[in-house]
Parts: sequence; C-alpha cells; structure tokens
Amino acid sequence: MKPEAMLEKIISDRKDSILEAVLSAPRRIQVKVQHEQLNPVLAYLKEAFGLTHLGTISGNDLGDHFEVIYHLSSADSTVNVRLLTPRSDPKIPSVCAVIPGAILYERELQDMFGLKVENTPDPRPLLLADDWPSGEYPLRKDWKFERPAEVIPGGE
Amino acid sequence: MEFKVALGPQHPALHEPISIRMTLDGEIIRDADLKLGYNHRGIEKLAESRTFIQNLYLTERICGICSFSHQTCYTQGVEKLMELVPARRGLYIRTLVCELERVHSHLLWLGVAGQEAGFESFFMYTWRDREVVMDILDWISGNRVHYSMNTFGGVRRDIDELQKKKILDTLGLLQQRTEFYLNLAASEPTFVGRLAGVGKLSKEQAIALCAVGPTLRASGVPMDVRKDDPYAVYDEVPFEVCTADSCDVLGRAVVRVKELIQSYRIIEFLLKNLPEGPFKVKAPRKVKENEVYSRYEAPRGENVHYIRSNGSDKPERLKVRAPTLANYAATIAMLKNGFIADIPLIFAAIDPCICCAERLVQLDDACSGERSVLTFSQLRAMANERYKKIDFRKKETAWPF
Repeated sequence: MKPEAMLEKIISDRKDSILEAVLSAPRRIQVKVQHEQLNPVLAYLKEAFGLTHLGTISGNDLGDHFEVIYHLSSADSTVNVRLLTPRSDPKIPSVCAVIPGAILYERELQDMFGLKVENTPDPRPLLLADDWPSGEYPLRKDWKFERPAEVIPGGE
Repeated sequence: MEFKVALGPQHPALHEPISIRMTLDGEIIRDADLKLGYNHRGIEKLAESRTFIQNLYLTERICGICSFSHQTCYTQGVEKLMELVPARRGLYIRTLVCELERVHSHLLWLGVAGQEAGFESFFMYTWRDREVVMDILDWISGNRVHYSMNTFGGVRRDIDELQKKKILDTLGLLQQRTEFYLNLAASEPTFVGRLAGVGKLSKEQAIALCAVGPTLRASGVPMDVRKDDPYAVYDEVPFEVCTADSCDVLGRAVVRVKELIQSYRIIEFLLKNLPEGPFKVKAPRKVKENEVYSRYEAPRGENVHYIRSNGSDKPERLKVRAPTLANYAATIAMLKNGFIADIPLIFAAIDPCICCAERLVQLDDACSGERSVLTFSQLRAMANERYKKIDFRKKETAWPF
C-alpha cells in the first residue's frame, strides 16, 4: 500500500484515538497519540499494515516534556508514533505485549532518560555501570559530565 | 538439576565484552540473560556537543568494521535535514564503497564462522580474499578501516579510470572464489553438519523479536532496506534480496555468500554506469530545526540513526541503533534449548561487531627515551634482522630477552 493511501486509512479508521497524522517526508508518516492509546494504535498498525518491525524507540528531552518515538517499518513505509510525557512524572506504557522485540529499547530508555516504563517484563538496568548513582540520567539535557579528579593510588 | 553459569564479559570464546548468564540443565541452555554496557562510550551524548561536520568522523568511529555504514546513515540523514541534493557521481561512489564494505565484512564473517566451526583452512582462505577488498578500499580512500569518504553533498575523493579498471579486474577473482565458497558452504559434509540445525530462529520469532539483516533473511523474511526504503542509488541498481528458509546458522552463511555475489554485480553495475560530473556539492554549515529517521542496510542488518536539529550547527539529538543491538533479543531465543558448545557459533552467526585494526607501532626507546613511528614492514625487517644475529644451534644460548 502506498504511504498516501496508508495515511488516509489511518485517519479514517482511527480519528478518535490519534491526535495527529501527517506525511512528513516520502515514506515517513508521523502519528501522535496519547498515553492510553499507544498500545491499541500499535496493535492496529501491526494488524492493518503489517508494520511489525520496530526499528528503535527514540527519546527526546524537550524541557517540560519527554518525547518518545516508536519507529515502525514495513516494506512500504515507516510510521513514527510519538508520545509526550511530562517531566515531573515521566511514564510510558510498555509495548512488549504487542512487539516483544521492544524490550531492550525500553530498558535503554529507562537507563538514559529515567522514564518509568509501566508493566515492562524486565525493568533491570541495561547499559549503565553497576555502580552508577541512582537518579542520574545521562541523556537528559540538564545532565553534564564532570570528569572526577584523578586519584593516583598510593599518592605521587 | 539446574546450574547457573556466567560467561564473559571477558572470555576467549567471545570477541566482544558481553556477559551472558545461563541457566543450564546439563549441557542444555534453558535460559540466558545478557548484560550489556561494558563498552558503552557515550557517543550519543558526545555528539550533542560537536558540530555536524565533526560528527561525521565521530559516527564513523562507532564501529571498526561497518564504519562506513554509520557514517553514511548519518550523512544521508543530515543531507535530508539540510534539504541538500547530493551530487550524482558522489552517490555512485558512496554506494560503491558501501558494497565494498559489505564484501569485506561478509568475507570476514565467513572466516569467523569457519573458525568457530573448527574449519580453520576456510578462515585462512576467506581472510586472504578479504585482503584484496581491503586493498581496493585502501587504494580508493587511503584507509583500510575508517575510509572517511563521506561528506555532506557527496564524497571527498573521486575515482579515476585506473582505479575503476583495477577494481573491475579484481572482481572476477573474488567472484570465482565466492562461488567456490557457496559450493563449499552447501556441500562440504563436516561444515554443513556443524552448522545445520544450530541456533534455530523461526520466522514468527524473528519477526516478533525485530531481528534484522542476514539473521532475519535466513528465517525467510525478505526484508532489506536497500529494496524497502532505497537510499543513495539503490533504486537504480538491479539486485535481488537473498533469503534462506532453514532458519539456522547454515542459512545465515548461505545468505551472506549469496549477498556477496549480488554485491559483485552491484559493484560492476556502478562502475560501468558511473556518471560524469562533480562528486560533491557545497553544503551549508547550519541546519534548520527538523528531525529525520535515517535507515541503512549495513552488512549486519538495518542500521538506524534518528537525528534532530535545532537550528544551530550542532545536533540536538543523535540516536544510534546498531544492528547488533536489534539482534540481541533474537540471540537469546536462539541460545535457548541449545548446547553450551554452540554459544560461540550462535553469537558469531549474528556477526557482532569487533574492533580491530592496527597499522603502525609507536616505539619508546628504553635507553634514549626517543620515540619513533615505524610501518609494519619496517618493524618486520627489524625483527628479521634481530633474529638473524641469534645463533640457535648453540644449546646454551641465553633467552634473547
């Protein structure tokens, strides 16, 4: 199915559950959803268009909000489903029930942005070191790296 | 009775620092858990503090084998943000280097698979042939590993007639060798016996776990970004997507060998149809506010860069998803109910990235403290010179060091 036809079908089928759907570039459809509609919309896209492949989940720090983008691909098109979550209480639903391959990306988001992924099957840290201090999320814009003072064991 | 065994992060059977915790029932793996991050370098954060041009060379250093994949994925993303149409000749040369990289990466993988399967002469053969491709890359870009060919709007170096002729001449040899490997991979009984049935990944599992590249295609899913979402000049080049239905390591080997043959055809087409004209166009320094989702078919599978610009000369966000990360979830599924002895083979079958390249050695003279840089051939000559002086026939000769 052509991306233009896909976009029309998405809008006519799901106009209540999506906030916005546009074709931003050739073969790139942008869809905005709300928190509770994420899983139903992903399941619909998978069912109706065969968008089974989740490329990755990108996080963005927009200041007051975090933006989370699910990049879904099929042979015809790529659909970017985006979701906003407030910085004061960053929560997103887990999509592992619909797309089992999302698990590592969700764990990465938790590590890097401190988002709480609800009902994720495996909430353990993934990438950061075991002794990483809690409450520090490196990809947030207010996080700055400061090199710790060098200590030579045993002195000079 | 069940055992829990930890493998890695440093282990002779693994080429990468990754830790696997396995639950074993005798020799059989019942459950596996991966722990990543031993090599996490914070490149995404670092990229936010560099300009778009500096990031060209940073993204290249994400990987030591598919360096061009990351750089091209980033470059074509930024070109879209800049609304820049690259020079056509530049795009042809870019695609040419993409395919040469795929050839060297797949030949490397075949060697690794041969070695993990205990077929060492196969490893020797394929790595010898890989040198031919590495030499071509060295010749057209000046580097063996980090080619630094890309720039916004095209490539940095042109190809002349002599280079074109040399590449076409060597292609015949590679093609002949690869057909021999295809024959071997499909008919040599010990090799087939070792690879067949190992690391099973069904089609449904591969799709559900979002596997990419040859791992996915060996499970019978014809997904290839070059066909699905053509970039560079892949929409003009005739080639086929290679798949296999056996869903095991043997299938992954066959897919890679078939892809090699397709790559030779693509290279031949590109060189014969190389358009005249400039190989790059001028690009702006600042990029207006926008975002792009760039996809690229790396030798290991779909490589993804998400780039967001904020109107300055630095990116707001660069998100990189290398193909190996996408294949980890599928690897766990492959390891389950397999044998411990198959771990290196299954891991090698997804072709995890390994960084290894050393071109020159810096020597510190212990007596004078003087530093000098030697090429490999000089070093070898020095070593030969030294060993000629030692008389090995005398039994009481002291250890020379």
